[in-house]
Amino acid sequence: MSLEASTTPPSDGVVGQARGRVGARARRGSRASASIEILRDAAAGLRRNALMALAATSTIVVALAVAGGGMLVSANLVHLASMLEGQVEIVAFLRDGLSPTQRQQVLASISASPGVRSAVIVDRGLALRRLQRSLGTPSSMSDLLPSNPLPDSVEVRVTDAGRIRDAAAGIQKIAGVEEVIFGTPVVDRLVALTRAVRLAGGVIAALLAAAALLIIVNTIRLTVSARRQEIEIMTLVGATPGFIRGPFMLEGAFQGASAALVTSIVLGIGYAGLAGRVAASLPFLPLLPPEAILPAALGVVWILGIAVGIGGSAIGLRRYLRA
Amino acid sequence: MIHFHGVGKRYPSGVVALQDVRLQIEPGEFVFLVGPTGSGKSTVLKLIQRIERPTMGRIIIDGTDLGRLPPAEVPHFRRRLGVVFQEFKLLPDRTVAENVAFALRVTGVDPLGIMPRARWALEVVGMVDRAADLPAKLSGGEQQKVALARAIVNRPPLVLADEPTGNLDPAAAWEIMQLLSSINMRGATVLVTTHNPTLVDILRRRVIALQAGRVVRDEPRGLYNAAI
Repeated sequence: MSLEASTTPPSDGVVGQARGRVGARARRGSRASASIEILRDAAAGLRRNALMALAATSTIVVALAVAGGGMLVSANLVHLASMLEGQVEIVAFLRDGLSPTQRQQVLASISASPGVRSAVIVDRGLALRRLQRSLGTPSSMSDLLPSNPLPDSVEVRVTDAGRIRDAAAGIQKIAGVEEVIFGTPVVDRLVALTRAVRLAGGVIAALLAAAALLIIVNTIRLTVSARRQEIEIMTLVGATPGFIRGPFMLEGAFQGASAALVTSIVLGIGYAGLAGRVAASLPFLPLLPPEAILPAALGVVWILGIAVGIGGSAIGLRRYLRA
Repeated sequence: MIHFHGVGKRYPSGVVALQDVRLQIEPGEFVFLVGPTGSGKSTVLKLIQRIERPTMGRIIIDGTDLGRLPPAEVPHFRRRLGVVFQEFKLLPDRTVAENVAFALRVTGVDPLGIMPRARWALEVVGMVDRAADLPAKLSGGEQQKVALARAIVNRPPLVLADEPTGNLDPAAAWEIMQLLSSINMRGATVLVTTHNPTLVDILRRRVIALQAGRVVRDEPRGLYNAAI
């Protein structure tokens, strides 16, 4: 017995569903139209709840901007640490009396030594000129000294400042090297500092990303919660969880993507402008060039925005879809 | 149509809502479920919809053993039920027609067939001329008629009404009850929970009374209160 037993409602093929004898053909048909319906419902959902979607998207923009900004700060801190470590060098003084060929052999041996990034010869004449320049009295130095007392040397840059001792010990063993110096206390302090800077950068990025994640998930959850009556009615009239989830997750993805777009524009323009100004007025502050950092940072912003938009919707819906 | 075999329900909070409930409601019956607040009426409806599951006993609805119904089949099962609530539960941002069509749209019905069917359901409840209005423009009685149209638009064999007249004035309540009777006359089994003695006493349909989670009375042409 059912309503249609004594009435003549329009026939559209749902009789089987109403009676619970859903044929395979009917299910295939409903699946095919479901994708279009999900898209249409997502668009309608955003239109109907435009104000709430706008508020949520704005919140997500702020969260993503904070996370993206954190990543830029973190990357620049790491870059600064690398730059500082790159300044660390070993000076290998050469024995007196080496021929130019022997000096080149020593240079080749040093360059091939473990932990060495680059090595250049500084001949004694250049060393004296540098000393004179640093003392600021070029004429008096020549007058005071009957001959150049400085030895030839090789200036060595290392691949890892933390392992400078190993590199120095290796160089010390090379024939033709008289003495090796690398300013141990300064290097130790520098390595400790750069390690702290790297850690701080990582922690800042991780904390801000986690904060953004929570804010976005909760924002999307609130938008889902505000529509719980709609979800409840859908559930009670027999909508499948997939049918209910689809539009909400699409809406979440759309909100996340919209927020990522706005954040990308703000961060992109903001960072490019800042990097330009810093390069012009504070050239000693080594900011990463925009093209080196923005693609990766904004990529993370997009992934975070869309993935968390979808995930937030799924989490928000979970409590309403428990069968 | 509805078979409860020794059904019990204890909520996780420890509240015992139903105890050893045995019911048999045949297809085409019109049944009032009465009893004081907390007697278990709403739990019965929730169990029938598989919103809640019994902690004891078996429930068979229209041949389906709900205990053996896989979760994935629950939505398809619910399409065989029409449900009306005391608080109407209409979507405020959609027109009357869209609210009725909603029940068809979310169940994947062919889009071309949706509006003719929604119109048919609105004709049944006499609301077709208000199809373009938003729920806020309607009276309580009119909103409940729209909710009723939404409940029957899928042509379910079973219609459940949870205190459908609880928020209505007597005239509107009577109108809704007449509509439910007419839906029953068209073939659907109708189960109504109510606190309205007047309507129950006038209609003289089967009355099942619950008290403290137990069936204490089941009369074929009963009154709201037991005859002394």
